[in-house]
Amino acid sequence: MSELEPAVRLAGVSHHFAEQRVLHDVELVLARGTTLALLGHNGAGKSTLMKMILGLISPAQGQVEVLGQRLQCGERPTSIGYLPENINFYDKLTGHEVLSYFAALKGERSTRVSQLIEEFGLGYAQHKPVKSYSKGMKQRLGFAQAIIAQPKLLLLDEPTVGLDPQASQFLYSKVNQLRDQGCAVIICTHELNLVEPHLDVAMMLGRGRCLAFGSLAQLLAQSELGVQITFNAIESVVSKHAPLAEFYHQGDLRCSISQRAWLIQYLTRECGIFDFDIKNPCLADIYNEKMTQMQSCNEQGLSFTSSISYSSNWSLNNVTP
Amino acid sequence: MLPHELTVWRGPVMIIAAKEIKDSLRNRWVTVIFAIFMLLALSVTFAGSAVSGTLSFPALASVITSLSTVSVFIIPLAAILLSYDAFVGEEEAGTMLLLLSYPLTKRQIFMGKFVAHSAIMVTAITISFGLSAAILLGFGDGYLWGKTLSAFGQFILSSSLLAVTFILISYLVSVRSSEKAKAVGSLLSIWFSLVLIYDLILLALLVADLGSTAQVIVNAMMLLNPTDIYRAINLFSTGTQFGGVALLTKSSLSSGLLYMLLSIWVVLLAWLSQRAFARKAI
Repeated sequence: MSELEPAVRLAGVSHHFAEQRVLHDVELVLARGTTLALLGHNGAGKSTLMKMILGLISPAQGQVEVLGQRLQCGERPTSIGYLPENINFYDKLTGHEVLSYFAALKGERSTRVSQLIEEFGLGYAQHKPVKSYSKGMKQRLGFAQAIIAQPKLLLLDEPTVGLDPQASQFLYSKVNQLRDQGCAVIICTHELNLVEPHLDVAMMLGRGRCLAFGSLAQLLAQSELGVQITFNAIESVVSKHAPLAEFYHQGDLRCSISQRAWLIQYLTRECGIFDFDIKNPCLADIYNEKMTQMQSCNEQGLSFTSSISYSSNWSLNNVTP
Repeated sequence: MLPHELTVWRGPVMIIAAKEIKDSLRNRWVTVIFAIFMLLALSVTFAGSAVSGTLSFPALASVITSLSTVSVFIIPLAAILLSYDAFVGEEEAGTMLLLLSYPLTKRQIFMGKFVAHSAIMVTAITISFGLSAAILLGFGDGYLWGKTLSAFGQFILSSSLLAVTFILISYLVSVRSSEKAKAVGSLLSIWFSLVLIYDLILLALLVADLGSTAQVIVNAMMLLNPTDIYRAINLFSTGTQFGGVALLTKSSLSSGLLYMLLSIWVVLLAWLSQRAFARKAI
């Protein structure tokens, strides 16, 4: 695979189960060394999309290219790591045996197993049955399984469900490490606050369609959500500075993302206000906005997916957060 | 060892088979199956004659008949308990999805499980009933080596084929089930129908004495049930001429034909279960 080749390229991918359409014309170009957060409501088509990238399902329409290889029916791409949601490993086997089994299936040596067990802090429990492991330990074991063959593409389905904050942090630190080494990572999650600091791009799916795609900065720019600025004695400051009046709303200053820099500059230079709180919209706010828009569009029978750029290359090179 | 042999032993089928055997050992299924078969073999060998009021080694025909009468219930049940969750269990746990994301084919996964479960059953059958033959030859009087080895050889071979048949029936049900509990329920119903109810219906047909046509129908129906074929093979091997299944031995059927029929069951079920697994949506 060429270094310039994207890790994943989806072109006009559609799929349906019986009469139900689960994916509709999805496009994606995911560069190497990028973390994609795949977001969407239950039944949005996230799992189907992941199965397509894994080569487990062939799309009814469109093309799937993984690591430069166009997937034909039933073809499994190599160099992929995968951690399914809520997996229960063979609980009578020990952690070492489970990892050795998956390592053997990928043709990896036992030294790699020992190395990963130590790296993931499972050394003390490696010879205990998996049924005695805590949720966090099982998830670490699952993550170790996913990266055992040093994948170039890693797919994680709800990797932090039921994990304590420390365990989630550990998992994301490993994700960042892999991404920095050039691995493309796709994380399917509902825990938006956890994934937000670690994503490079996000794709929001709704009823099988791509509702939004881009970096956090891009998503914010596309969003109609505003920035909220608050400080003490705001009313008296607004009354003295007429330009602020148009931003004043129910005890706060509210502006669009594009106006944020200007407003901060005005407050510091013209008003001498340096002590204020800025509340930027977060990923969860953008997600909720998109889902609400999708629902209202659906109610009115309108489409909600126009002019989305699907390339992670473009987003990373052209937008600064 | 040749390089090709090395590839086979380190290939995905053998890796999966080794894991399945290890898993079955930890689940204690292997221990339970070995213990039941061993108990069955030793009790029939040593205490089989007690029903006739004596304590001596029974005649060869009596040993084989007693063993096959009990084995026809036990072997299918053991095969079912060993393999009912082979597919539905992995699906429930999420490991099947993971395995399928590996560079493996469904055929390799199927074969890995099949090799392991068959090996466990065949080993348990061979060791337990082989021990029974060894005891008779070592300590009994008047047992001819050739005849004893032939009878036990046929018994072990037919028992292994019966075990493999029920492993494959379990796979078929396991692939098609959505829950482990449903798989067990369906398999126990199949076991109950094939081992008990089927023969009772045939017996009722025989007793009804519907003439020679009914006899042909009964014979044909017996050949459609693998457990009846198994019984008939073992009656053939000892020349026993009693019981409902003995009607088959009186007909023009040969032992070879019965083995072929049981083998056809194995091939047909292997094809059906593998096809069901290959077509199963992920």
